[in-house]
Amino acid sequence: MIVSAFLKSTFRRRGRTLLALAGIAVSAALLLDMTMLASGLTVSFGELLGASGYTLRVTPKGILPFDSDAAIENGDDVGRRIAAVPGVRSVAPVLGAQFRRVRGDSAGEPLFTVGIDPRSEFLYRLTAGRQPGPGEVIVSVPLAEDEGLKPGDELALAGDLDVSLGRARATRRYRVSGVGDFLYNYAGEHSLAMTLADVRAATGRTADVSLFGVAAETGVDGDSLAKRIAAAVPEVSTYSTRELMAEMDKRLLYFRQLATILGSVAMVVTALLVATIITIGVRERFGEIATLRAIGVRGRRVLLAVVVEGLALTAIGCLAGLPMGLWMAARLDRILLSFPGIPARMTFFAWEPQRVALAMGIVIAIGAVAGCIPGLGAIRAPLAQALREEAE
Amino acid sequence: MIALALALALAQAPPPARAPAPSVAPVPVAASAQTPEVLIERRLAEAVPLEVGDTVRVRALAGRGPALPFVVAGVFERAADPNRISRNEMELRFHLPDLEALLPQKDRVDRFAVVLRPGADPDSAARWIEGMAFGTRAFGSAALAAESSATFRVISRFHDAIGIVTILASAIFLLCVMIIRVDERKRDMAMLRLIGVSRSTVFRAIVVEAIAISIVGSAVGAVVGLVAARIVNAHYAAVYDTTLKFALVSPRIVLTAAALGLALGIGAGALAAWRVVSVPPQKLGER
Repeated sequence: MIVSAFLKSTFRRRGRTLLALAGIAVSAALLLDMTMLASGLTVSFGELLGASGYTLRVTPKGILPFDSDAAIENGDDVGRRIAAVPGVRSVAPVLGAQFRRVRGDSAGEPLFTVGIDPRSEFLYRLTAGRQPGPGEVIVSVPLAEDEGLKPGDELALAGDLDVSLGRARATRRYRVSGVGDFLYNYAGEHSLAMTLADVRAATGRTADVSLFGVAAETGVDGDSLAKRIAAAVPEVSTYSTRELMAEMDKRLLYFRQLATILGSVAMVVTALLVATIITIGVRERFGEIATLRAIGVRGRRVLLAVVVEGLALTAIGCLAGLPMGLWMAARLDRILLSFPGIPARMTFFAWEPQRVALAMGIVIAIGAVAGCIPGLGAIRAPLAQALREEAE
Repeated sequence: MIALALALALAQAPPPARAPAPSVAPVPVAASAQTPEVLIERRLAEAVPLEVGDTVRVRALAGRGPALPFVVAGVFERAADPNRISRNEMELRFHLPDLEALLPQKDRVDRFAVVLRPGADPDSAARWIEGMAFGTRAFGSAALAAESSATFRVISRFHDAIGIVTILASAIFLLCVMIIRVDERKRDMAMLRLIGVSRSTVFRAIVVEAIAISIVGSAVGAVVGLVAARIVNAHYAAVYDTTLKFALVSPRIVLTAAALGLALGIGAGALAAWRVVSVPPQKLGER
């Protein structure tokens, strides 16, 4: 009954209670966003890495995928040795290169091109046409849309430029066999995929591979498979999804720590807001509390009522903050995804129920604790003095 | 106010400033005539460790040949470049022919830095170079800076958005505090009105009080912001071993935060005061 009376008293002052709830909701929304940001990109990156079923990457020693021009020499031999490791289901070689589209005497902007094994479906999903054969290419959706390319069209590509002669070197004509949705491309990126043999022939890197994607057999642990591959092929580096996510974490340390700082500020603001509201509310009801104590109500029950009041305020504020936080996350994500080179399929804000529940739980707990101090003050105040003050 | 000051410090901090040019201090050693020299970045020299005069064997990851010996001729401090902070790789510096000897492709460069004669127009020089050297792109310093700062523009926009949310939370907080403070003293206000103090005087008194609160809050916020910026910078300096500044509290930022705080204070005070002066004094004392 006392708890209910305290809650009614709080919500009777609609204006200030609504303002307090709005403040808590904004703080909770900020905290939610920072919680989602803290791990969002890493989680999203992990999901993207495994999207094609190739959960491991094998790269030149000490190099992350496509971090430099370095390549694995004798790629075919290395590929065979990787495929022979127990637990490996499939190995997809990739050779990266830059090509330019040639029109007459002029060459366009560089197009990132991958030489792939068409059977692997490692880096893209076909949206139109078929996998490339010799002399054929897959074009990315933005390239197809911007240049009006479709399966069956022809395009001239050069793998090299002669700066002194002012023209493209070794121009070859390729037929577009299909249009692909490239998994790791940034928004609007123009890129190509063709057979590994074609890229090797055009670039003269006849045995190179930039990286291998490795798919594990069902039930095989990625980390232990990575160790087995590293033991079998020591001249390369093998990364499991977990290791690549850890590397991503290192590079995005700034965002994680910014999220921690801003999340902490949001918590402090919430705590201050709830503490202020409850403190003043308790102060206003000092006389009521003194009267309750005078008629025999135990201090513990009064304290419980004050704590529940804080709990109710923060719980309702958090509930209101959730949709606001999700809306803000979508807006902030749009800003951050304009980072150069970020794959369009990634997101900076990941909804992880456990982490979100923990963050909101902490805010609600802060609300409850914030009520304890004024509550304790009220039940410890000398009873006679409190009653006299109320009478005056 | 504290949150506001911190948010502004983060929101308005310009892209991290570049440190002065690296202080490369090569120390001549009696290397053999055949052994080429290399400069080692200070962090790498500490990590290995290496000293001037040591001989190291180097092989390019993209190279095919064997590792070649180099004599450490000096240790240098790399320029604090915000573009490279996330990868934070260590660096070696070679004479161009020595580096070329390590790489599979010959007679290639990644880029040239070009110094123009006084009075030369950078844009027309850039177009001339692009016309002469097929497939190259030439940028003036300003264009290059704009091109390479795309990442920081995104971060800046993100900070702006976070700043707006924080300002909103601060405004609500301030309004809440003011309304509660005024509510608490409704009976005093009623008394003042009943003894003849005018509405406008009561209104002004409340607004002045709100201004005082926001000034004190802004001052405390500025101090907290300064301390927080120092902690943030010290932390990241240790994490990245860099002289880059991640948070800046400049006089302009402090003034902007104070002005915003003041505006919020006046707004909150006026709203709270309006709630009091719009009610007849006889009703103000009611519980």
